Amino acid sequence: MKGKKLSVIPVMSAWSNRIGRAYILISTLISAIIILLIALVLFIYSWEAISQQRADLFTSIWNPAAGQFGILAMLYGSLMVTVIALAIAIPLGLATALFTSEMLGVRYRFHVKFLLELLAGIPSVLYGLIGVAFFSVWLGDLFDLQSGRTILTAGILLAIMVLPTIITLGDDALHNVPRQYREAAQGLGLYPHEVIIHIVLPLAKTDIAGAVLLALGRALGETMAVMLVIGGIDKIPPSLVNIMVPGQTITSKLGREIEETAFASMHFSALIFMGLALLVMVLALTAIAQHYFRPGLRLYE
Amino acid sequence: MNRNSRYAANYLFTAVVWSAVIICCALLCFLLSTIIWNGVYALSFKFLLSPASGFGANGGIIYQITGSILLIAVTAIISLPIALGVAIYKSEFLKSCRLQRLSNLLIYGLNGVPSVIFGIFGLIFFVNLLGAGISWFAGAIILAIMILPTIVLSTYQAINSIPTIYRESAQALGLDTWQIITRVLLPQGLDGAITGLLIGLARAIGETAPIMFVATAFSGVDIPDSLNGPITTLPTHILALAKQATDAQALQNAWGAGLVLLCLVMLLGFAALMGRIRLKTRWQ
Repeated sequence: MKGKKLSVIPVMSAWSNRIGRAYILISTLISAIIILLIALVLFIYSWEAISQQRADLFTSIWNPAAGQFGILAMLYGSLMVTVIALAIAIPLGLATALFTSEMLGVRYRFHVKFLLELLAGIPSVLYGLIGVAFFSVWLGDLFDLQSGRTILTAGILLAIMVLPTIITLGDDALHNVPRQYREAAQGLGLYPHEVIIHIVLPLAKTDIAGAVLLALGRALGETMAVMLVIGGIDKIPPSLVNIMVPGQTITSKLGREIEETAFASMHFSALIFMGLALLVMVLALTAIAQHYFRPGLRLYE
Repeated sequence: MNRNSRYAANYLFTAVVWSAVIICCALLCFLLSTIIWNGVYALSFKFLLSPASGFGANGGIIYQITGSILLIAVTAIISLPIALGVAIYKSEFLKSCRLQRLSNLLIYGLNGVPSVIFGIFGLIFFVNLLGAGISWFAGAIILAIMILPTIVLSTYQAINSIPTIYRESAQALGLDTWQIITRVLLPQGLDGAITGLLIGLARAIGETAPIMFVATAFSGVDIPDSLNGPITTLPTHILALAKQATDAQALQNAWGAGLVLLCLVMLLGFAALMGRIRLKTRWQ
């Protein structure tokens, strides 16, 4: 308070109090309803597909012309891309978080956080542009592929995109471990790596799991970058582990196709169903992270 | 022997961590230098100040820049008042622990919704159900919904961290609830709100997926003269150009637009950072 004067206007006060309360209540209701409204709208518009296609939705052939709307290929793509991304980003991110939290002086923490935020702030369409102009070309040349736009390319690009999230949340998780534990372990004559592996990491386990869940949700929902580099073929490769082929994720499918689809047709409805499935997965992850781990109020830290 | 192997393990561990750090730093340098290096080649005053032509491959990006800025300005105007209301409610009126958890779940849930979901929601709700067609205002509403959680949490923290004694003193002076809010809490909480708003806008200006079905058209769009009608923005322009990645001229324009977009994001992010530093030192 910078010595600000408080003026009281008694006549107005009862009214302004009432209006103020109404305003606060209404804005709260609006924001509480929005997420329910989104889920409801998606559910209503996917109902046609759910009620008529039923189990056929979970087959592997997507052919709107023949009335076949199997979403397994897209589910497979989303899962595979996410698994690749996390398989690269978790070890790399955690090792870097260990460095920033355990080896780097506290003085530099602010700068590191700033750099990470800079990285996290790069719009996803720019990652997509870099993926199209460089990564897909490099991978195509490296493995002598017809096209460098593959599931693997998307996975690598996504790994780079979620890396800042994992590093910064991992760093927070490690930082939350009290100093005494480290000092006690050092006092017992443990080497630095033993302190980290046997003392610090187990203590930070829950927070790290929360960080991974958040990164998982982000990777599942990422659209632009994936859409530009994945190639866009709705097929599960004959060999499930062959990741050097073009694929499709739920998000890239939605991004590519929904605008060209007639509103409220079966095709549209099946696409919306995919969106609903994605939303349910991501919300479940968020709820689990909220309930079992404590991501705290780190939305913008 | 045992001592030697422990020493070797420590050495190995350090080497692994260092190599991870080097890879991450290399990635950071690569990303930033690629965007800057390629972007600088494309930039010129003519590029910045002339409209796009030939499906974006020629001409400049003036309408993309004005479009992006107009869109986030309206986004800010829509989202800030709602976020202030929610944050005040959450901080001052919501006492029950269970409801606090529920509101956290809703806010974090909304924050986690993938951006493409906002896009298809907007497509169904605004474009088709409300019959707005392609409307940039609907795009601004969608973006406002998207950044709402960020602003709410930032404002909530700022208001919630005001010491209780300020509220008690104001009450003792005979102020009613609304007066306490407008004259004590809001002036102090506004910094937090602005910081959250800037962080949210830095994200909103770079988003493509929420607005690409709802608000934007690729070519032949200038500054909209009503609330309805399409707009063109930097991210959707980059997306359209990136799709024609084989065309060298289109790709170069994409890099130019990309660098401008990155600069706008950094500008907003930097302003938010300044705000946060101020906030952090407030009650100490």
